[in-house]
Amino acid sequence: MKKILLIVPFLLTGVLLVAVMADDDEDHRSIGRSIGDVAVSKDATYIKECGSCHFAYQPGLLPKRSWVKMMNTLDNHFKDDASLDQKTTKYITNYLVKNSSDNAMDYKRSRKITNSISVNQTPHRITKTPYFIHKHDEIPKKIIVQKEVGTLGNCIACHTAADRGIYSERAIKIPNYGRWDDD
Amino acid sequence: MKKQLALLIVSGVLANAGGFNPSMQGYIDSLKVEAKKSNNSFADFNAKRGELIFTSKHIGKRGREISCASCHGANLSLSSQNAFTNKSIEPLSPRTNPKRLTNVQDVQKWLKRNFNDVYKREGTPQEKGDVLYYIKSK
Repeated sequence: MKKILLIVPFLLTGVLLVAVMADDDEDHRSIGRSIGDVAVSKDATYIKECGSCHFAYQPGLLPKRSWVKMMNTLDNHFKDDASLDQKTTKYITNYLVKNSSDNAMDYKRSRKITNSISVNQTPHRITKTPYFIHKHDEIPKKIIVQKEVGTLGNCIACHTAADRGIYSERAIKIPNYGRWDDD
Repeated sequence: MKKQLALLIVSGVLANAGGFNPSMQGYIDSLKVEAKKSNNSFADFNAKRGELIFTSKHIGKRGREISCASCHGANLSLSSQNAFTNKSIEPLSPRTNPKRLTNVQDVQKWLKRNFNDVYKREGTPQEKGDVLYYIKSK
Protein backbone atom coordinates (compact mmCIF):
# COMPACT_ATOMS: atom_id res chain seq x y z
CA MET A 1 0.00 0.00 0.00
CA LYS A 2 2.78 2.43 0.95
CA LYS A 3 4.46 1.78 -2.36
CA ILE A 4 1.28 2.65 -4.23
CA LEU A 5 0.97 5.89 -2.28
CA LEU A 6 4.50 6.80 -3.28
CA ILE A 7 3.71 6.22 -6.93
CA VAL A 8 0.55 8.34 -6.94
CA PRO A 9 2.29 11.77 -7.09
CA PHE A 10 4.33 10.59 -10.08
CA LEU A 11 1.24 9.39 -11.82
CA LEU A 12 -0.41 12.74 -11.20
CA THR A 13 2.61 14.58 -12.55
CA GLY A 14 2.35 12.45 -15.66
CA VAL A 15 -1.29 13.37 -16.08
CA LEU A 16 -0.48 17.06 -15.65
CA LEU A 17 2.33 16.88 -18.19
CA VAL A 18 0.03 15.27 -20.72
CA ALA A 19 -2.58 17.94 -19.99
CA VAL A 20 -0.07 20.74 -20.57
CA MET A 21 1.22 19.14 -23.75
CA ALA A 22 -2.27 18.70 -25.06
CA ASP A 23 -2.94 22.36 -24.44
CA ASP A 24 -1.74 23.38 -27.86
CA ASP A 25 -3.99 26.32 -28.54
CA GLU A 26 -2.89 29.84 -29.24
CA ASP A 27 -3.30 31.19 -25.73
CA HIS A 28 -0.38 29.86 -23.77
CA ARG A 29 -0.95 32.29 -20.96
CA SER A 30 -3.63 30.00 -19.67
CA ILE A 31 -1.25 27.08 -19.16
CA GLY A 32 -0.78 26.38 -15.53
CA ARG A 33 -4.06 27.98 -14.57
CA SER A 34 -6.26 25.39 -16.25
CA ILE A 35 -7.11 22.02 -14.86
CA GLY A 36 -8.51 20.88 -18.20
CA ASP A 37 -10.62 21.93 -21.18
CA VAL A 38 -14.08 21.36 -19.77
CA ALA A 39 -15.21 19.30 -16.79
CA VAL A 40 -16.55 15.89 -17.85
CA SER A 41 -20.29 15.36 -17.34
CA LYS A 42 -20.69 12.39 -15.05
CA ASP A 43 -24.22 12.76 -13.78
CA ALA A 44 -26.22 9.71 -14.88
CA THR A 45 -29.57 11.56 -14.91
CA TYR A 46 -28.13 14.37 -16.98
CA ILE A 47 -26.53 11.98 -19.45
CA LYS A 48 -29.69 9.95 -19.79
CA GLU A 49 -32.11 12.85 -20.11
CA CYS A 50 -30.00 15.24 -22.16
CA GLY A 51 -27.87 12.81 -24.10
CA SER A 52 -30.62 10.75 -25.76
CA CYS A 53 -31.23 13.09 -28.68
CA HIS A 54 -27.90 14.85 -28.95
CA PHE A 55 -24.36 14.83 -27.60
CA ALA A 56 -24.49 15.39 -23.82
CA TYR A 57 -22.85 18.82 -23.91
CA GLN A 58 -20.81 19.51 -20.80
CA PRO A 59 -22.47 22.01 -18.44
CA GLY A 60 -19.25 24.04 -18.57
CA LEU A 61 -19.95 25.02 -22.16
CA LEU A 62 -22.57 27.66 -21.28
CA PRO A 63 -23.03 30.17 -18.44
CA LYS A 64 -25.70 29.55 -15.82
CA ARG A 65 -28.07 32.19 -17.18
CA SER A 66 -28.19 30.26 -20.48
CA TRP A 67 -28.93 26.95 -18.78
CA VAL A 68 -31.66 28.45 -16.62
CA LYS A 69 -33.34 29.97 -19.66
CA MET A 70 -33.05 26.68 -21.56
CA MET A 71 -34.45 24.58 -18.74
CA ASN A 72 -37.42 26.95 -18.48
CA THR A 73 -38.33 26.42 -22.13
CA LEU A 74 -37.87 22.67 -22.59
CA ASP A 75 -41.28 22.26 -24.26
CA ASN A 76 -39.82 24.21 -27.17
CA HIS A 77 -36.19 23.12 -27.15
CA PHE A 78 -34.80 24.29 -30.50
CA LYS A 79 -38.24 23.49 -31.92
CA ASP A 80 -38.40 20.06 -30.28
CA ASP A 81 -40.44 19.06 -27.27
CA ALA A 82 -37.85 18.03 -24.69
CA SER A 83 -40.08 18.48 -21.66
CA LEU A 84 -39.31 16.63 -18.43
CA ASP A 85 -41.28 16.13 -15.25
CA GLN A 86 -40.88 18.85 -12.61
CA LYS A 87 -38.61 16.87 -10.33
CA THR A 88 -36.16 15.93 -13.09
CA THR A 89 -36.23 19.46 -14.52
CA LYS A 90 -35.28 20.89 -11.14
CA TYR A 91 -32.57 18.31 -10.58
CA ILE A 92 -30.94 18.88 -13.95
CA THR A 93 -31.20 22.68 -13.68
CA ASN A 94 -29.33 22.53 -10.37
CA TYR A 95 -26.69 20.28 -11.88
CA LEU A 96 -26.21 22.57 -14.89
CA VAL A 97 -26.03 25.73 -12.81
CA LYS A 98 -23.57 24.22 -10.35
CA ASN A 99 -21.27 23.14 -13.18
CA SER A 100 -21.91 26.02 -15.60
CA SER A 101 -19.02 27.71 -17.44
CA ASP A 102 -19.04 30.71 -15.09
CA ASN A 103 -18.79 28.31 -12.15
CA ALA A 104 -15.95 26.36 -13.76
CA MET A 105 -13.44 29.09 -14.51
CA ASP A 106 -10.53 26.76 -13.70
CA TYR A 107 -11.26 24.98 -16.95
CA LYS A 108 -9.79 26.63 -20.00
CA ARG A 109 -12.70 26.38 -22.43
CA SER A 110 -15.26 27.23 -19.77
CA ARG A 111 -13.31 30.35 -18.88
CA LYS A 112 -12.88 31.39 -22.51
CA ILE A 113 -16.52 30.83 -23.33
CA THR A 114 -17.62 32.78 -20.26
CA ASN A 115 -15.28 35.67 -20.97
CA SER A 116 -16.34 35.88 -24.61
CA ILE A 117 -20.00 36.53 -23.82
CA SER A 118 -21.04 40.05 -22.91
CA VAL A 119 -22.90 40.30 -19.62
CA ASN A 120 -26.15 41.46 -21.20
CA GLN A 121 -26.32 38.44 -23.49
CA THR A 122 -27.79 35.02 -22.80
CA PRO A 123 -26.84 32.74 -25.68
CA HIS A 124 -29.17 29.86 -26.27
CA ARG A 125 -26.73 27.79 -28.28
CA ILE A 126 -23.12 26.87 -27.50
CA THR A 127 -22.47 27.37 -31.22
CA LYS A 128 -23.56 31.02 -30.91
CA THR A 129 -21.08 31.98 -28.20
CA PRO A 130 -18.35 34.33 -29.53
CA TYR A 131 -15.54 31.96 -28.48
CA PHE A 132 -17.14 29.03 -30.29
CA ILE A 133 -17.77 31.10 -33.43
CA HIS A 134 -14.18 32.33 -33.41
CA LYS A 135 -12.85 28.77 -33.10
CA HIS A 136 -14.98 27.39 -35.93
CA ASP A 137 -15.19 30.27 -38.41
CA GLU A 138 -12.66 28.85 -40.86
CA ILE A 139 -14.28 25.48 -41.35
CA PRO A 140 -15.71 25.09 -44.86
CA LYS A 141 -19.47 24.61 -44.88
CA LYS A 142 -19.29 21.41 -46.93
CA ILE A 143 -17.38 19.72 -44.11
CA ILE A 144 -20.10 20.64 -41.66
CA VAL A 145 -23.14 19.67 -43.73
CA GLN A 146 -21.78 16.27 -44.79
CA LYS A 147 -23.85 13.46 -43.35
CA GLU A 148 -21.20 12.26 -40.89
CA VAL A 149 -21.34 15.65 -39.17
CA GLY A 150 -24.57 17.46 -40.06
CA THR A 151 -24.32 20.46 -37.74
CA LEU A 152 -21.70 22.30 -35.73
CA GLY A 153 -23.52 21.05 -32.65
CA ASN A 154 -22.37 17.47 -33.32
CA CYS A 155 -19.15 17.88 -31.28
CA ILE A 156 -18.16 14.24 -31.14
CA ALA A 157 -18.22 13.86 -34.93
CA CYS A 158 -14.86 15.70 -35.14
CA HIS A 159 -13.71 16.17 -31.53
CA THR A 160 -13.04 12.50 -30.97
CA ALA A 161 -12.55 12.91 -27.21
CA ALA A 162 -15.39 15.40 -26.65
CA ASP A 163 -17.14 12.97 -24.34
CA ARG A 164 -14.08 13.15 -22.10
CA GLY A 165 -14.19 16.93 -22.09
CA ILE A 166 -11.19 17.22 -24.43
CA TYR A 167 -11.47 19.70 -27.29
CA SER A 168 -7.79 20.18 -28.16
CA GLU A 169 -6.66 20.30 -31.77
CA ARG A 170 -4.78 17.05 -31.29
CA ALA A 171 -8.01 15.20 -30.70
CA ILE A 172 -9.70 16.50 -33.85
CA LYS A 173 -10.36 14.17 -36.73
CA ILE A 174 -12.84 15.48 -39.27
CA PRO A 175 -14.64 12.77 -41.27
CA ASN A 176 -13.48 12.64 -44.90
CA TYR A 177 -10.97 15.39 -44.17
CA GLY A 178 -8.61 14.38 -41.37
CA ARG A 179 -6.79 16.47 -38.85
CA TRP A 180 -7.44 20.17 -38.48
CA ASP A 181 -4.54 22.60 -38.22
CA ASP A 182 -5.51 26.11 -37.25
CA ASP A 183 -2.10 27.63 -38.01
CA MET B 1 -64.02 -8.31 -4.78
CA LYS B 2 -62.08 -11.57 -4.76
CA LYS B 3 -63.54 -12.44 -8.14
CA GLN B 4 -62.50 -9.06 -9.52
CA LEU B 5 -59.02 -9.50 -8.15
CA ALA B 6 -58.77 -12.97 -9.64
CA LEU B 7 -59.99 -11.61 -12.97
CA LEU B 8 -57.45 -8.82 -12.77
CA ILE B 9 -54.66 -11.28 -12.10
CA VAL B 10 -55.79 -13.59 -14.89
CA SER B 11 -56.07 -10.73 -17.37
CA GLY B 12 -52.70 -9.50 -16.17
CA VAL B 13 -51.13 -12.89 -16.79
CA LEU B 14 -52.82 -13.16 -20.18
CA ALA B 15 -51.68 -9.71 -21.19
CA ASN B 16 -48.24 -10.59 -19.96
CA ALA B 17 -48.14 -13.24 -22.64
CA GLY B 18 -47.82 -10.17 -24.88
CA GLY B 19 -45.01 -9.23 -22.59
CA PHE B 20 -45.74 -5.98 -20.74
CA ASN B 21 -44.37 -5.84 -17.21
CA PRO B 22 -46.88 -5.13 -14.40
CA SER B 23 -46.31 -1.37 -14.24
CA MET B 24 -46.52 -1.03 -18.01
CA GLN B 25 -49.65 -3.18 -18.02
CA GLY B 26 -51.09 -0.83 -15.41
CA TYR B 27 -50.37 2.11 -17.71
CA ILE B 28 -51.94 0.31 -20.69
CA ASP B 29 -55.03 -0.44 -18.59
CA SER B 30 -55.36 3.19 -17.55
CA LEU B 31 -55.07 4.25 -21.21
CA LYS B 32 -57.85 1.78 -22.03
CA VAL B 33 -60.13 3.36 -19.43
CA GLU B 34 -59.43 6.79 -20.92
CA ALA B 35 -59.89 5.56 -24.49
CA LYS B 36 -63.27 4.10 -23.64
CA LYS B 37 -64.41 7.42 -22.17
CA SER B 38 -64.10 9.19 -25.52
CA ASN B 39 -65.00 6.23 -27.74
CA ASN B 40 -67.90 4.01 -26.64
CA SER B 41 -67.17 1.32 -29.22
CA PHE B 42 -63.53 1.04 -28.16
CA ALA B 43 -62.58 -2.59 -27.45
CA ASP B 44 -58.79 -2.79 -27.41
CA PHE B 45 -55.73 -1.14 -28.88
CA ASN B 46 -54.65 -2.19 -32.31
CA ALA B 47 -51.12 -2.61 -33.68
CA LYS B 48 -52.29 -2.02 -37.26
CA ARG B 49 -53.74 1.38 -36.34
CA GLY B 50 -50.54 2.04 -34.41
CA GLU B 51 -48.45 1.30 -37.47
CA LEU B 52 -50.34 3.94 -39.44
CA ILE B 53 -49.79 6.48 -36.68
CA PHE B 54 -46.12 5.57 -36.58
CA THR B 55 -45.42 5.67 -40.30
CA SER B 56 -47.71 8.41 -41.63
CA LYS B 57 -46.05 11.74 -42.37
CA HIS B 58 -47.04 15.11 -40.99
CA ILE B 59 -45.59 18.60 -40.96
CA GLY B 60 -43.88 18.43 -37.62
CA LYS B 61 -42.90 21.02 -35.07
CA ARG B 62 -39.84 22.00 -37.05
CA GLY B 63 -41.86 22.64 -40.19
CA ARG B 64 -40.52 19.58 -42.00
CA GLU B 65 -42.60 16.61 -43.12
CA ILE B 66 -41.72 13.74 -40.80
CA SER B 67 -43.09 10.58 -39.24
CA CYS B 68 -41.99 8.67 -36.15
CA ALA B 69 -40.05 6.44 -38.56
CA SER B 70 -37.99 9.42 -39.76
CA CYS B 71 -35.89 9.05 -36.61
CA HIS B 72 -36.72 5.53 -35.43
CA GLY B 73 -36.35 3.95 -38.88
CA ALA B 74 -38.70 1.67 -40.79
CA ASN B 75 -37.23 -1.48 -39.25
CA LEU B 76 -37.65 -1.20 -35.48
CA SER B 77 -35.16 -3.96 -34.74
CA LEU B 78 -32.32 -1.86 -36.15
CA SER B 79 -30.55 1.17 -34.69
CA SER B 80 -31.43 4.43 -36.37
CA GLN B 81 -30.50 8.09 -36.36
CA ASN B 82 -32.16 11.25 -35.11
CA ALA B 83 -33.01 13.03 -38.37
CA PHE B 84 -32.07 16.42 -36.93
CA THR B 85 -29.04 15.80 -34.72
CA ASN B 86 -27.61 12.59 -36.28
CA LYS B 87 -27.39 11.03 -32.82
CA SER B 88 -27.88 7.28 -33.01
CA ILE B 89 -31.03 5.82 -31.48
CA GLU B 90 -31.13 2.28 -30.10
CA PRO B 91 -33.69 -0.09 -31.63
CA LEU B 92 -37.27 0.50 -30.52
CA SER B 93 -38.26 -3.16 -30.78
CA PRO B 94 -38.53 -4.69 -27.29
CA ARG B 95 -37.51 -8.03 -28.80
CA THR B 96 -34.11 -6.69 -29.88
CA ASN B 97 -33.84 -4.10 -27.13
CA PRO B 98 -35.45 -5.49 -23.95
CA LYS B 99 -35.18 -2.14 -22.11
CA ARG B 100 -37.87 -0.69 -24.37
CA LEU B 101 -41.42 -0.29 -23.02
CA THR B 102 -40.40 -1.24 -19.47
CA ASN B 103 -40.38 2.11 -17.67
CA VAL B 104 -43.73 3.91 -17.56
CA GLN B 105 -42.22 7.32 -16.86
CA ASP B 106 -39.89 7.05 -19.83
CA VAL B 107 -42.69 5.84 -22.08
CA GLN B 108 -44.97 8.72 -21.02
CA LYS B 109 -42.18 11.23 -21.50
CA TRP B 110 -41.37 10.08 -25.02
CA LEU B 111 -44.99 9.72 -26.13
CA LYS B 112 -45.69 13.30 -25.06
CA ARG B 113 -42.57 14.69 -26.69
CA ASN B 114 -42.70 12.73 -29.89
CA PHE B 115 -46.40 13.24 -30.62
CA ASN B 116 -45.75 16.97 -30.18
CA ASP B 117 -42.76 16.83 -32.51
CA VAL B 118 -44.49 14.87 -35.28
CA TYR B 119 -48.19 15.76 -34.83
CA LYS B 120 -47.83 19.15 -33.12
CA ARG B 121 -50.27 17.93 -30.44
CA GLU B 122 -50.33 15.31 -27.76
CA GLY B 123 -51.61 11.87 -28.69
CA THR B 124 -55.02 10.70 -27.50
CA PRO B 125 -55.08 7.76 -25.08
CA GLN B 126 -56.24 5.50 -27.91
CA GLU B 127 -53.45 6.66 -30.23
CA LYS B 128 -50.86 6.15 -27.51
CA GLY B 129 -52.08 2.62 -26.81
CA ASP B 130 -52.20 1.78 -30.53
CA VAL B 131 -48.61 2.93 -31.00
CA LEU B 132 -47.46 0.96 -27.94
CA TYR B 133 -49.14 -2.18 -29.30
CA TYR B 134 -47.46 -1.61 -32.64
CA ILE B 135 -44.00 -1.24 -31.07
CA LYS B 136 -44.65 -4.24 -28.87
CA SER B 137 -45.55 -6.33 -31.93
CA LYS B 138 -42.16 -5.64 -33.53
